[in-house]
Amino acid sequence: MKRKERDSSSKDVWIFGDYRNYFQNRVTLQLIAKGRDLARNLGGKVTVLVLGEQVHQYAMEYVAHGADAVMVVDHPNLKDFQVETYTRIVASLVGNYRPDIFLAGATPFGREFFPRVAKRLKTGLSTDCIALEIDPENQLLLQTTPSFGGELLAEVITQNHRPQMATVHPGVFEEQPHDHQAIGRIIYPEVDIARDDRVQLVRSRPEQSKKGHLEDAPVVVVGGRGVSSKEQFQMLSELAELLGGEVGATRPAVLAGLAGEERLLGQTGKKVKPKLLITVGTSGALQYTTGIQGAETIIAINRDAQAPIFKMADLGLVGDARSILTLVLEKLRKRI
Amino acid sequence: MAKQRESLISAYHNYLVNNMLSPGFYVGVPDSATDFYFLADMMLPGEMTPPISARLYDNSGSFLVELKRNSIIKNPLHCVFETTPQGFRIVFPPDELVLDVNTQRFANGYLTRIKAKLRDSNGGLRIEPSYEGIQVYGEACLTLSAPFDRQKG
Repeated sequence: MKRKERDSSSKDVWIFGDYRNYFQNRVTLQLIAKGRDLARNLGGKVTVLVLGEQVHQYAMEYVAHGADAVMVVDHPNLKDFQVETYTRIVASLVGNYRPDIFLAGATPFGREFFPRVAKRLKTGLSTDCIALEIDPENQLLLQTTPSFGGELLAEVITQNHRPQMATVHPGVFEEQPHDHQAIGRIIYPEVDIARDDRVQLVRSRPEQSKKGHLEDAPVVVVGGRGVSSKEQFQMLSELAELLGGEVGATRPAVLAGLAGEERLLGQTGKKVKPKLLITVGTSGALQYTTGIQGAETIIAINRDAQAPIFKMADLGLVGDARSILTLVLEKLRKRI
Repeated sequence: MAKQRESLISAYHNYLVNNMLSPGFYVGVPDSATDFYFLADMMLPGEMTPPISARLYDNSGSFLVELKRNSIIKNPLHCVFETTPQGFRIVFPPDELVLDVNTQRFANGYLTRIKAKLRDSNGGLRIEPSYEGIQVYGEACLTLSAPFDRQKG
């Protein structure tokens, strides 16, 4: 959308319904809850836009979690997330209905798809936001996002263009409980659903993981740059297993090949909210700590007493990670 | 404003009618003692079977069977009520399907697909299969916002 369209847009908040796996669906539910806050402040409604084939159950789930309305485009052509087709359809619908705000999860698909929609609509996009609020003075969406490699938190506004678009990490907001009694509106818009065949999905294979869901784990043990070997990282895995939890990693640990990308926490990875988080050999850089802010209790282990991680830790242990882990594991093995 | 179709949707249970989800709908005048009607009433949280009431006729306009909340109350032509793994069906002997009600369970809700080709007492087509659900014709209410009795009262 072009400039000066602010006054002509509705006050509604739209959420992109990303449901292809458990966590993408959860972030959609979290955005609905946040969308309700934003819409209340604007005097608008929350609508979830769902594209796909046989998406009935998701439409129902979004209403159960607080959506005022669900806009559904249900067609076999939309069975697979085909980014060109989705971009065209979504941009067309946004252009027609003119929501004030449009949000999506910072999922792999959201990251690929939402910038294209923003480009087509000629509006801005704040990615990987960690907070969203309405400015009471001017009703603009304040989009807080880490920038300059996570060194700063930038507060972004989209003053003249609509919609105001942002992507948000899974786990930043809390979803509302499921309400079986809820009734909402369901809208089936008339839209051209022809496929764009320049790119075709040949095969899709879900990632197989024997481990549980990191985002849901009650205990998370994280390794950072200070965990220098596979052997030490294996100690973290054992600690996590003994505590009934999961292992996470910072970017340096992933780059060092100590853990897979699916274990990455932080600005470009996952966000966790465990009851207990043990963070080992991590300095406390903002790009990492944005992923662990929801942890109830944090225990930090680092040999540098000045490491920023100690500022957010409930308990800090200054010392060599290997020595401390060895002692802790020894005690735990005896108790279990 | 862009062209669109619109309905209500329940978080718990919906029917597929006219290619839309709907918490409940009716065709004709429910509770009519003398003419066709089909009422797919709202299924409330805690219930597990969608309540169907209907007065059905055959192709020639002869009264076939009357149902009240999934129980046959009039059955002059001896139709057979059969339960199925996901609902029930009514068959005109020996094997002509009159009505099939199939409820799919999701993690947190239900969706009912109806299969039927139904005519009123004048032979007019009122319901026929369409894509996943049914298409209805003539006097109808496609969206109930409360159970029919409550809405009526």
